Amino acid sequence: MSGRGDALISYLKSATQSRRHFTDFLFKVVLGIVILIVVSPFFLVLFQVASIGFWQVFGSGPGQGLEFFFTFPGIGLEGGIRNALVGTVELIVLASAVGIPLSVFGAVYITEYTQPGWGRSIVEFASDVLAGIPSIVFGAFGFAFIVDFLHLGMGIVAGSLTLAFMMIPTVLRTTQEALRAVPMSLREASLALGATKWSTTWNVTLRAAFPGLITGVLLAIGRVMGETAPLIFTAGNNLTVPTELTGSGSWVASMPYTIWAYISDPREYLQAKAHGTALALMIMVLTIDVIANIISRKVTRRLV
Amino acid sequence: MTETETQAVEHTSSENELPQFEKLKKRLTTPIFDFIDADRSGKTDMLGKVFLLVPAFASTLIIVLILGFLWYESTPILTDPAGGPGIIVGPTWDPNRNLYGIAVFIVGSLLCTVIAIGIAVPVGIGGAIFLSEFCPMRLRQPIKMITEMMAAIPSIVYGLWAYVVMVPYIKNVLAPSLQNNPITGWMPWFQGDTNGLSLLAGGVILAIMLLPTVVTITNDALQTVPRSLREASLALGATQSETARKIVISAALPGVGAAVVLALGRAVGETMAVLMVTGNSLQIPYTLFDPTYVMTSIITNQLGYAFVFPLWRSALFAVGLVLMIMSICFTLTAKFFVRWGMKTRGYI
Repeated sequence: MSGRGDALISYLKSATQSRRHFTDFLFKVVLGIVILIVVSPFFLVLFQVASIGFWQVFGSGPGQGLEFFFTFPGIGLEGGIRNALVGTVELIVLASAVGIPLSVFGAVYITEYTQPGWGRSIVEFASDVLAGIPSIVFGAFGFAFIVDFLHLGMGIVAGSLTLAFMMIPTVLRTTQEALRAVPMSLREASLALGATKWSTTWNVTLRAAFPGLITGVLLAIGRVMGETAPLIFTAGNNLTVPTELTGSGSWVASMPYTIWAYISDPREYLQAKAHGTALALMIMVLTIDVIANIISRKVTRRLV
Repeated sequence: MTETETQAVEHTSSENELPQFEKLKKRLTTPIFDFIDADRSGKTDMLGKVFLLVPAFASTLIIVLILGFLWYESTPILTDPAGGPGIIVGPTWDPNRNLYGIAVFIVGSLLCTVIAIGIAVPVGIGGAIFLSEFCPMRLRQPIKMITEMMAAIPSIVYGLWAYVVMVPYIKNVLAPSLQNNPITGWMPWFQGDTNGLSLLAGGVILAIMLLPTVVTITNDALQTVPRSLREASLALGATQSETARKIVISAALPGVGAAVVLALGRAVGETMAVLMVTGNSLQIPYTLFDPTYVMTSIITNQLGYAFVFPLWRSALFAVGLVLMIMSICFTLTAKFFVRWGMKTRGYI
């Protein structure tokens, strides 16, 4: 303890030695304060959401805890958020069912079957552009193309297809990185044993790249789970769960949309419900993100 | 050219054609025969290759579809006498009077973005320098974890926080204290009454949302600067902060540029948080406390009502088209920075 104190004192002494040393000291202190500013919003947001929403999510009173998640809103929105929870899960499952195979197979094709060249760079560029498109543009596109042009109407199909499009760039690029990290010798060993390209890809390469692939999938799911803007014009809202695949019975609620609707509502008791929903959504998204991080740390550092 | 020569030329060409045709036929039929001759795993292999081609081009197809539909939906306003390409500089948005100028939204978006970038880039780069150069080893991993978690928080949650905490703070504390004290009270950009829903609120919440992007990418860029550069600088007697400011940052400049451009793209396209706190009023803001309207908000707020009015709806899609073109430009610029960075490291 005293050793560390002595070190600190001698460091402070050296900081006053000359102007340059003092600038050095000042620079470090300022940057230390800056990093505190950078991380502080995380705790501020968490504190605000948890201070109001905590008893809504973990309490055991009427309308709290499990009851909050497993009752429908009902008349005057006085119940829970079962519609939003079920809706988000359904949207994510459907979006993953479309988006993940599409992007994983695409990544496998361009990494394993094509030579580096214009074909590959077109697909890579397209997915980079897709990653940068504002989410409301996806919403407007989903509305113009799926809802209006294809006559599918608003509802669970249109909403989850729009979310599936948003998943493509993340999953495609992370799968590609993961496939690229697989050593060539593994593929060559499999091919030398007489396996076809197809079975090499599925049984050897993809198996080796699986942790990276899962990371990408989890990151994409975490990202689309919190998206509101694409769902406003494609999924609508619903006070119960969707019963049909098309038509007005297929409209579906989602947690982000519910937060938005509740927070902009003048009724006072909806504020607590909005905070509760936000806390639940944050917990879900952050859990997925942490799992993805742990998997990716164990395997490889992800490139942005 | 004499007759015989012409004949000779024709003759040789027709002679060449036959084997070429044969070659083509062979090339077309060989895969089919190969497929018929192959065993089961061989057949799977060949079919699989064809089947994988489809998803590979799906993402390209979606880009084309998005651009195509935005263009198709915005042609009515771009060809109509009431609109035309001039709507980009038209100052008035009033669908009831057939005025579809979208300059208000473009200016609003740009001002919000400038404030956000002005806050997020210096703070983010400073944080990244601390994280990469001076941070104690024990703190590095938790801080990285927190910034990555900040990037994962949904924008609606940031919006909720800004709406419930920041907007009342600006209204009750920040605006009065800035306007009533003699040091800052005279400044033109602090004037005006406010209900808290303002340009400043939008800029600050955007800056908070951009911070994790800037910090993570800049930190990655700083980490790839070779250790030998730092050691050379320290060996010449430079202090740690001089090394960081003058050597490491300039070596990582392309990565920092990419971080800034990617942050710009996110800032322009951000929807929900900005929508909730900027007040959505159809005017160009003159002070920090004036409400404003951004491009993403106008689409979100009005597309629901506008879709039965062809011109109105098409004007909204024109806003979407502008957003899309901006985001493609940002992506291209970021790619340029990444290429530049790879060139300075000698990867290309």
